[in-house]
Amino acid sequence: MGCSASLPERSSNQLGRGNSENGGGQDAKNLRVKLVLLGDSGVGKSCIVLRFVRGQFDPTSKVTVGASFLSQTIALQDSTTVKFEIWDTAGQERYASLAPLYYRGAAVAVVVYDITSLESFNKAQYWVKELQKHGSSDIVLALVGNKADLHEQREVPIQDGIEYAEKNGMFFIETSAKTADNINELFEEIAKRLPRPSTN
Amino acid sequence: MAGFCFSLPHNVEPMRDSYGFALRPQHAQSYRQYASIYKEEEGERADKWRRFLEQTVKSSQSCSSEGKLEEISKAKDSDIKEETSSGSLSEGNDFSIRKSCEGTEIEEETSAERVSEGRDLSLEKSCEGTKVEGETGAELVSEGNDLSGRKSFKGTEIGEQTNLERQREADAETKEGKEGTVPARVSEGNDSIGKKSVSDGSTASSSEKEVHYLEERKARKVQTWGEIRPSLAAVEKLMRNHVKKAKKIEVEQTNGKYDNLPSIEESEHLEVVSEDIVGEKVCTKEMLDNSINDAREGNALEDNDSPEFHSHLKELETLVQGGVPKDLRGEVWQAFVGVKTRRVESYYEDLLAQESDSGERKEQDDSSGALGKWRKQIEKDISRTFPGHPALDENGRNSLRRLLIAYARHNPSVGYCQAMNFFAGLLLLLMPEENAFWALVGIIDDYFEGYYTEQMVESQVDQLVFEELLRERFPKLVNHLDYLGVQVAWITGPWFLSIFVNMIPWESVLRVWDVLLFEGNRVMLFRTALALMDLYGPALVTTKDAGDATTLLQSLAGSTFDSSQLVFTACVSFLAVSEARLEELREKHRPSVLVVVEERSKKGRIWKDSKGLASKLHSFKHDPGSLVEEMKTNEGDGMENAGDKSQLKSHSSNLDELLHSLNVDSEVDSLPDLQEQVVWLKVELCRMLEEKRSTIIRAEELETALMEMVKQDNRRELSARVEQLEREVAELQEALADKKLQETAMLQVLIRVEQEQKVTEDARRRAEQDLAAQKYVVHMLQEKYDKAMASINEMEKRVLMAESMLEATLQYESGQSKALSPRGDRIPSPRVEIPPPKSRLLNFGLGWRERNKGKPNNEEERRESQCNERSESRTL
Ligand SMILES: Nc1nc2c(ncn2[C@@H]2O[C@H](COP(=O)(O)OP(=O)(O)OP(=O)(O)O)[C@@H](O)[C@H]2O)c(=O)[nH]1
Ligand SMILES: [Mg+2]
Repeated sequence: MGCSASLPERSSNQLGRGNSENGGGQDAKNLRVKLVLLGDSGVGKSCIVLRFVRGQFDPTSKVTVGASFLSQTIALQDSTTVKFEIWDTAGQERYASLAPLYYRGAAVAVVVYDITSLESFNKAQYWVKELQKHGSSDIVLALVGNKADLHEQREVPIQDGIEYAEKNGMFFIETSAKTADNINELFEEIAKRLPRPSTN
Repeated sequence: MAGFCFSLPHNVEPMRDSYGFALRPQHAQSYRQYASIYKEEEGERADKWRRFLEQTVKSSQSCSSEGKLEEISKAKDSDIKEETSSGSLSEGNDFSIRKSCEGTEIEEETSAERVSEGRDLSLEKSCEGTKVEGETGAELVSEGNDLSGRKSFKGTEIGEQTNLERQREADAETKEGKEGTVPARVSEGNDSIGKKSVSDGSTASSSEKEVHYLEERKARKVQTWGEIRPSLAAVEKLMRNHVKKAKKIEVEQTNGKYDNLPSIEESEHLEVVSEDIVGEKVCTKEMLDNSINDAREGNALEDNDSPEFHSHLKELETLVQGGVPKDLRGEVWQAFVGVKTRRVESYYEDLLAQESDSGERKEQDDSSGALGKWRKQIEKDISRTFPGHPALDENGRNSLRRLLIAYARHNPSVGYCQAMNFFAGLLLLLMPEENAFWALVGIIDDYFEGYYTEQMVESQVDQLVFEELLRERFPKLVNHLDYLGVQVAWITGPWFLSIFVNMIPWESVLRVWDVLLFEGNRVMLFRTALALMDLYGPALVTTKDAGDATTLLQSLAGSTFDSSQLVFTACVSFLAVSEARLEELREKHRPSVLVVVEERSKKGRIWKDSKGLASKLHSFKHDPGSLVEEMKTNEGDGMENAGDKSQLKSHSSNLDELLHSLNVDSEVDSLPDLQEQVVWLKVELCRMLEEKRSTIIRAEELETALMEMVKQDNRRELSARVEQLEREVAELQEALADKKLQETAMLQVLIRVEQEQKVTEDARRRAEQDLAAQKYVVHMLQEKYDKAMASINEMEKRVLMAESMLEATLQYESGQSKALSPRGDRIPSPRVEIPPPKSRLLNFGLGWRERNKGKPNNEEERRESQCNERSESRTL
């Protein structure tokens, strides 16, 4: 929150310890993380979440109105667990005015585009800028090019995604909710990049 | 075999409820449980509604004539026998009959009636005043009214087109009128969507219908309008207040601007005349077309004041809260929303015609214009609207597409917003396409004005209002959610935006919609959300983290199958949540939303032309003209919408006040013109409001952070104490265990000591016995010794005697020998030899006795000390 300066002395001592805001976990072994998915409508945000949480792909997914919530816990090799509290938001432009409600205080933001749509890539860049300006300062950002299975219809070269992500200090991956390619990897990588709460 | 079939992949299809909507697998069980309850409730409410309709129809037949009664009885027969009859049937009778037969075939008949009813109402129209029609015309145009030139152009366009259309329509109607049964077919055929949702329709009739439908499609492209059954006219009449209110506002807004426009309702008027030729039922007109009656102010007022009207309205309200019967729902909803009153003949067709006309221009639109953007979004969403629903086949989807595009054209301030696809889809399942269009218009333009616009201002305001209400009603719950870091709006935002579609089970959605559409505002939205919180709050306060709370609330809401409980809780427990109260709260919260929205839209522009607000403000101060121009162009290119307009208005009124109070300070004075001052002040004001808001937010954040920390702090302290106590307890327990060990050891020692003591005692007793025995022995020996001594003494006496005798003998002998020999020399030597044995014997006897005298005492002492020594060593 970055508000320690004006806090009474007693409490400001506490600030150094935990990071309970930001959705950060409580102890070093079991992290709890608020994650928000952003991106143009139809890029497959809901499909990615459903694939990750339920292991299914429904080609006839429903339009997301407002936002919807799902959570999933994964175990890492170092025997820590990470519980993702995922907010899947609505993609239509006008719903962007509600987005701050969801990305505020999120520890992770996953910005998704559709590799077959240049427009969705542009939209993704808009989101990245917005998050850099208004998200938490230590937010972990990931850029995801979805629908990688449709490579014949590719409009966004993978190199563009990589470069943009690198320039903005983001993690980048191309996924397919349809084939499940890289879906688990996406979340595992995010989990590894999370700032761990100090052990004391 | 069946089992095998189910294992096939394509049969993984989700289970569907009686409306054809997919059920989540985890809800299948609960749904089955509630299905029978729903059925039971349905039966009950069907009876109630039938009675109500019969009664109100009777009482509303103020002009009751024999003709009508005759008609009713006629209706009964024809209803059953002539399936395709377009006879002018009416009244609740058809309803009651249908109830008893319960099938789609009969439902189709009713739709046939709808059209025929159109003819009746047309009679009515023939005696309507033109002034009323003028109002309706104005209403039509009003959606696109004021400010932008583009919109007013559109308005005129519509006017012109309808004008032309009117002529065409009139011709067509005359023709159809002569043919008699054709109009019936039209609505019948187009009803197919509604019909399909009720899957138990007979195949024969539906295929027959399909044919008619196709025929009709050829004849007239999109005639998809159907009148609601006449028996519901009473309901329509009761509902007219809502509709009229909305209308009045629109009329006011457009007042004067479009006087020259030809009244669109005239087209109906003409149609009416032509239909007039076919049948004359002068009396039925009043009863059948109440919506037209509504427009007659005087008449309406008269009716409104009657106590009967109120009692009917009250009764209707109760009925609605109990649920609208399934097969009436589509039409009752139309009556609630005032579809008939809203409808402007051929308006819908014209919107669609524009769409197909612009077919060539589409490419252009798609790349730039807003319409292209909406069209694209609609296309993305069509297949994601109730996917797999049996009614949303190819035709169903086409209807949905047409409906949404027509709406986007109709109201560009909203255009298309995700969520509307679900509303349109739902309406299409319940009514013909054009009816669904007007219902959607009513819902989005009226009930949810400002909700789905580009900035979604009202939906954000409503969330703030809801949070305040929730805080007021359930402070504990809100505190808990605050503590967990859950914002209520995360969850309730989607509830409100989707009007609960996909958020709670369908039966409950429909029941909520029943009440919401009846009430004509968003009060039911709040009441339902509060009811859900009421129902699930107790479970929510037990959750431990934000994720669990959200998951729980979402899934509990999703399993609210008890629709009656939900609706009754909403309507009874939260009766106090009224529109007036909501309006009050909205007024309070709106400014903060507007500030953020304004800031955001500014940022949006900045993002586009990468020019900072600061620099703009700066340049404005030096060169005010440029920004004003910019503002103007922004207004011109459609950035502003209805919501924004009201916001501008409220801002400018604020600013006016501000200007007055400022009494024009020097800086302002130096600015060239008043409008620029307003613009500048607006910008300043916004900035200040934004600053204030962010300060407030910051303060709040700090406060919550502080609270959280205090809580955490307490927790830490407590847990530290607990830990310490636990440690102490552990230590104590250890000590206790040690003590116990020691105790057992001591016990063992004690036992051993006791045993030893016993042994010692025994030994002592034995020793004492020994001693006694020895004493006895000593005593015996003493006696023996005494005897021996006595015999020794006697022997000594005898020895003495013997000696003296010997001496005497010797002396005699010596005397004799002296006499015989010299005396002395020889006699002393034997005497010296004799004494030693005597003294030696004596000495021995005395010495032994001496020694034995001290011995017994010594012996006893020694033993005793020995025993003591031994027991002592054992004790140690
Ligand atoms: N081929 C392919 N199609 C996908 C993939 N992911 C999603 N889709 C399709 O894209 C469509 C949209 O997916 P959604 O997940 O609903 O999109 P969304 O981003 O949630 O959209 P909004 O809810 O409108 O914001 C779906 O109909 C899927 O069939 C993918 O990885 N490959
Ligand atoms: Mg989605």
